[in-house]
Amino acid sequence: MPGFSNSFLVMVDKEISDHVKSWKFIIVVALILLTTFGSLYSILNIIRENAALINKGDNFLFLKLFTATDGNLPNFMTLISFLGPILGIALGFDLVNSERNRGTISRILAQPIPRDYFITSKFTAAVIVILLLVFSVGFLVMGMGLLSIGLPPTLGEFLRICIFLFLSTIYIAFWLSLGILFSIIFEQAATSALASLAIWLFFTVFYSMIVNIVAQSLSKNPFQINHLTVILSRLSPNYLYDELTTILLTPSIRTLGGLSFQQLQGAIPSALSLDQSLLLVWPHFTALIAASLICFAVAYLLFMRREVRA
Amino acid sequence: MSNKLKASLLFLLLFLLIPFTLVVNAAGNEIILYTPYTGLSVTPGEGINYDIDVINNSRLIQNLSFKVKDLPAGWDYNISSGGKSIEKLAIKSKDFKNENDKSLDLEVNVPLKIEKGNYHFTVIATTDDGQNFQLPLAVKIAEKGIFETEFTVEQNNMEGYSDSTFSYDTTLRNRTAEKQHYALKADAPQGWDVRFKEAGSYVTSVTIDSGESKTIDVKVEPAVNVKADNYAITVEANSGTTAKKINLEAVIKGKYGLDLTTPSGRLSQQIVAGKSKELNLKIKNTGTITLRDIKLSATTPSNWSVDFEKDKITKLEAGESTTVSATVKASDQAIAGDYQLSIKTNTPEATAAADFRITVKTSLIWGWVGILIILAVILVIFYFVKKYGRR
Repeated sequence: MPGFSNSFLVMVDKEISDHVKSWKFIIVVALILLTTFGSLYSILNIIRENAALINKGDNFLFLKLFTATDGNLPNFMTLISFLGPILGIALGFDLVNSERNRGTISRILAQPIPRDYFITSKFTAAVIVILLLVFSVGFLVMGMGLLSIGLPPTLGEFLRICIFLFLSTIYIAFWLSLGILFSIIFEQAATSALASLAIWLFFTVFYSMIVNIVAQSLSKNPFQINHLTVILSRLSPNYLYDELTTILLTPSIRTLGGLSFQQLQGAIPSALSLDQSLLLVWPHFTALIAASLICFAVAYLLFMRREVRA
Repeated sequence: MSNKLKASLLFLLLFLLIPFTLVVNAAGNEIILYTPYTGLSVTPGEGINYDIDVINNSRLIQNLSFKVKDLPAGWDYNISSGGKSIEKLAIKSKDFKNENDKSLDLEVNVPLKIEKGNYHFTVIATTDDGQNFQLPLAVKIAEKGIFETEFTVEQNNMEGYSDSTFSYDTTLRNRTAEKQHYALKADAPQGWDVRFKEAGSYVTSVTIDSGESKTIDVKVEPAVNVKADNYAITVEANSGTTAKKINLEAVIKGKYGLDLTTPSGRLSQQIVAGKSKELNLKIKNTGTITLRDIKLSATTPSNWSVDFEKDKITKLEAGESTTVSATVKASDQAIAGDYQLSIKTNTPEATAAADFRITVKTSLIWGWVGILIILAVILVIFYFVKKYGRR
């Protein structure tokens, strides 16, 4: 069927331009840029003040641009973990129901295109926008850091940052899929937005409290409580992402969660190589990608089975 | 009358002559040679200085020449007065009171090479008219004089390790009559280094004046791979005409030494958690004595194990090395990153340890499981697209 893939690209193109021109996108991007510059400024100050302590190549100075904080402004890593979901939800919550409410969906589907193009093109376009945005902001931070401190990153640092940015994209894509899923389920855009935000709020604020209560009610042994808390927390995509990025951007962390004395004995403090850091967080990596894909798959399935001709 | 006259004339002549004869006899004491030291005891090579007073008891000024008679062979002398070397010396007559004497310096050099005993010689003063006046002198040589070199060492036996430097203090004395130029050489076992130090510098020859001595420090460095034993070193000072050897003894004490490393010298390894890895260890006897019963042991992080191919090396000769393989098994709970592992070899006499830095890698299995899960999810999505895509 010639022209089919071409029509898909046209649809993606149109979606991207819709996103970029929309107010909600501009507002979220402005918010992200503002906070990014704020955190970058405070980090560069920290680095400048402690220049004497910096030993090049030894303490992964470049990664500090993403992980260091002076306590007032969150670092870039925390910022993405907090604002990323909002960006994803903002891009996804009204993608399907607004078209349905305006009645444009039946007009699009009247075109000679496969039905799933409607949903996949929306998803692809949003992911491309997120990818571009995350990488732009990340490289902006790297560029500003390079200008300011004058030391180039090592290859390992650069790769870690690239993987971190890629993972951030996947993490945001998870919230995007969730937003799309709710925009299919709920007829009203406002309901879908509230539902998405409720889930986000639940995982960011309340989930850790619930986990603490549950863990403490299940056990009295502090070590066991700690262990339970970690396991239950990992059900939250926020926690997964935080743990993942922290380990990826801090090579000196050698393990997740608690360490036994047996494991500590004879261990020499050392930085992990990139592949070892990746292996350490590989389950997180897998879970995050799988969660995003499953979320998309569910949305896809729901959309395809739904009657659109009202 | 003629006979009687002849007899009386002869008698008269006799009377006339007697006073003259008396005068001639009295001439035996006209010159007196005097020194208090008529018998001396000296050592070979010493110079004797006699201070001789020459007194003129005649009424005439006496012009005297001096010589020394019966001086033993090899001896020589020198006569001077008032700092001048003299041939003749004139002395005022008895009429000049207190001015009728002169002092004479006689220097006699006793040779170095001389038998001990009593030696006699005579100083003779001869007047212009041929009268001789004598002063006999005696010299006793208390010891035998030699023409040779004396080379002595205070302590010729020293003990040390193979890396010690032995230092012998020797004294080289020139007991010949001439200045000598000595070449110094040593005869030491192969690989040994012998050097001579004089007045702070290393030298190969020394010049010593007659009768003088110099202190020479003989520095001996044993060969690198020397075995424990007694070694003799001969040191010789040779000037061509005279030579002297001394024997030095160096006792090398055995030393115990052990070294532990790997054949490549690399002390870092990578290991996968829960898996084992073979390490090759190189054990070397760096000492000079054979080591027996070398035990191998390891200090590991907990739940790690190290199995040695053999726990004990029965015998290792000095300077030899042997290779032992060890199998290290990492704990399956080990976290990624570096761990320290110490391997120790010891005998009652020596010990050596090596610290290994083992980098633990986590198993790739779970990585593959993760990839499979993602692939499965993607397959499910493809299945949906195929089934519901309504192509």
